[in-house]
Amino acid sequence: MDWTNYRSVAFDELIAADGRPRPAAGHLVRYLAKLSDRDVASRQVAASAIARMSGITFTVYSDGRNVDRPLPFDLIPRVLARSEWVRTEAGLKQRIRALNMFIDDVYGEQRIFKDKVVPASLLANSVNFRKECVGVKPPLGIWAHVCGSDLVRDADGKLYALEDNLRIPSGVSYMLENRIVAKRVFPELFETCTILPVDEYPMQLYETLAALSPRPGETPVIVLLTPGVFNSAYFEHTYLAQAMGIELVEGTDLFVGDDDCTYMRTVYGPRRVDVIYRRVDDLFLDPEVFKPDSALGARGLMRSWRAGKVALANAPGAGVADDKVVFAYVPKMIEYYLGEDALLPNVPSYLCTDDDERRYVLDHLADLVVKPANESGGYGMLIGPRSTKKQRAKFKKLVVADPRNYIAQPTLSLSTVPIVTPRGPSPRHVDLRPFILSGSSIYVTTGGLTRVAMKRGSLVVNSSQGGGAKDTWVVDLEDAV
Amino acid sequence: MLSRVAENLYWFARYVRRTENMARLVGVGSQLQLDLPRSVKFMWQPMIDTVGVAALFKTRFPDAAAVPTDVDVMRFLLLDEGNPSSLRHSVDTAREMLRSIRDTLPPQLWEVVTDLHMFLGEDADRLVTRRNRVDLISRIVDGCLKISGLVTATVSRDIGFQFMQLGTAIEQADMTTRIIDAGASGLVAPRKEEDRETFRNLQWMAVLSSLAADQTYRRHVRQRVTGEHALRFLLQDYDFPRSVHFCLSRAQRMLAAMPPRPEVEKRLGKLVDAIQTADPAALVAKNPASFMDEIQVQLSALHGAVAAGYFSVVEQVASAQQQSPAAA
Repeated sequence: MDWTNYRSVAFDELIAADGRPRPAAGHLVRYLAKLSDRDVASRQVAASAIARMSGITFTVYSDGRNVDRPLPFDLIPRVLARSEWVRTEAGLKQRIRALNMFIDDVYGEQRIFKDKVVPASLLANSVNFRKECVGVKPPLGIWAHVCGSDLVRDADGKLYALEDNLRIPSGVSYMLENRIVAKRVFPELFETCTILPVDEYPMQLYETLAALSPRPGETPVIVLLTPGVFNSAYFEHTYLAQAMGIELVEGTDLFVGDDDCTYMRTVYGPRRVDVIYRRVDDLFLDPEVFKPDSALGARGLMRSWRAGKVALANAPGAGVADDKVVFAYVPKMIEYYLGEDALLPNVPSYLCTDDDERRYVLDHLADLVVKPANESGGYGMLIGPRSTKKQRAKFKKLVVADPRNYIAQPTLSLSTVPIVTPRGPSPRHVDLRPFILSGSSIYVTTGGLTRVAMKRGSLVVNSSQGGGAKDTWVVDLEDAV
Repeated sequence: MLSRVAENLYWFARYVRRTENMARLVGVGSQLQLDLPRSVKFMWQPMIDTVGVAALFKTRFPDAAAVPTDVDVMRFLLLDEGNPSSLRHSVDTAREMLRSIRDTLPPQLWEVVTDLHMFLGEDADRLVTRRNRVDLISRIVDGCLKISGLVTATVSRDIGFQFMQLGTAIEQADMTTRIIDAGASGLVAPRKEEDRETFRNLQWMAVLSSLAADQTYRRHVRQRVTGEHALRFLLQDYDFPRSVHFCLSRAQRMLAAMPPRPEVEKRLGKLVDAIQTADPAALVAKNPASFMDEIQVQLSALHGAVAAGYFSVVEQVASAQQQSPAAA
């Protein structure tokens, strides 16, 4: 693989501006340089074949049909130095502690609003605030047991937090599968460098969930609640249920008894369920409380949860902190609840509810990224530098009509990692989604899922919009062989 | 084991077995047709009647004067998506059943079923022509046998496996009675009186080969094929895996390892009695059809008891605690 002409317009994760590999990636880049084009191509074919065989797919609804599409996998891993990762991990742990304290406060005393650190109006207009959760005390005071935070690296080489997914973050199965593929394709590298393992995640998740059981001392009955085969993340649901050895259930498999306990229907009769890792949105969880026509959840589930008879992860209502406006206040939350400075910087955000900031946003639409507060999947946003006049006019109207629903951020020049192309390595923009588990302790995945925009120049990494994935290596340089 | 998963495993096994039997039946009919002299007419109608889609067939071909061609009938039996007994419908239903329980079974199963599904969807018009028919039938039968093989060779003998076995046993018992029914009600219609005896036995031969039983029959019965012997073999043989008795006693063995449901045991016991006490000679002398109907009704009641006992869990918590052992 020929690196001589490889240049990136942004900060590149593997190759420094002078064309030399970064220290953590040195081993990998030199190894790849020794491979012929044919070697590289055949390994890429092998990698895709392994990925297809193991059934790594996500489901896309198009042309009125559901299609299982393989997630594009690129051969070249993204490499992070362990020393940097240790700092990032500490920042992520700090973040999730503050976020959980915030959610607990929102549904409890609401001190942070009374102390005017965060404006109370935020709550009044939050689409993810659930009044049904007020006063509930979930086990360990934790609401967001599983968090997927998106990190991006800007031109200055620093990692920034872009958003925290606290509702039902997905993608961890791709992280695990990508590693399996990489090990099969680059066994030599795994022998010679110290690449930290990622495969303890399912066990860690199991223990996080088990700690929530309302019947401590007994082996907990844990289930994963899926919306079913037509959900885009169904592959992940089956993958995690299998990896943890727990039952994969659908809403119709569950019912809540007169004793407020939750049961699943088995061939032996009803069996009590202690913990539900739910991958169904809040509003579909319980037709008794939320959408009355939802068949994805179970009638009475909220009653059971409020009575403390079943644990839900993530807790209903945790999404109140998964809002791009709330995001802007995370550094203040860290200061308020923990008395610490944020270790991991936020991507700077302009709040459209603030008169001055809104004026700035409207005047600089061509330079900013404008995002709706509660969309995910990269939908409904405006990327200023690539927008048309017409699109900017449309967003101007949207922001003025509903300022609470929009934030703006400077357009970051997301860092790049090379991907394999027929014309040699070529830079593509990436982000990084580590997963953070909160239970009796906090666990962060080693690295995370690197999502990559497969189209040249594109900044959109979402799988639903043509993004792919890479393996992510955290390499210990001190321990190199 | 979740009731939903058990139910899907059970139906998956049933539809796979139904597909295989249906393919064999159509294949044998096709072959039989070629063996008949001009004076003897082959009748598709009994096959259509026996799988319970006569009324639908009539709506497809309402004009009594315009006799449907051989290819019309094939397309109806094999590929018609609106025909709940067609091969394609059975394969697609098996695939839908499997979709949500994929994670509980070996992944190759999904590949085999998807392959069958694609195959039947691909080039339908070419498939039903007489020249390609043998290929079509053998490809379907092979696919079904591959599924059965994968299941017996790689699936853990847990409660899920027992539900699949139960489904297979009930479906095979049902299909065996239906194929007997089709044979007995006259797949061939000789125009001359002297042909009657010869071709009646020929159709019993066809029934045996539809159930892959011809060779075993010859080895075990060592008599020329007659209605009485064929019927005794297919209903009451202890060792042949597609005899009704064999299927029912396998179901009984499966039930012994499953959570007890008295209603299911009662129904099954009654069926075993009816099969064991049947008199093949007397049945052949009149017409076995009404007896076969009776067995089918009882099998359907057995299915009803299985569904009520295992698949629809009553939301009663008090009784739940007692009947809920640690394993699920």
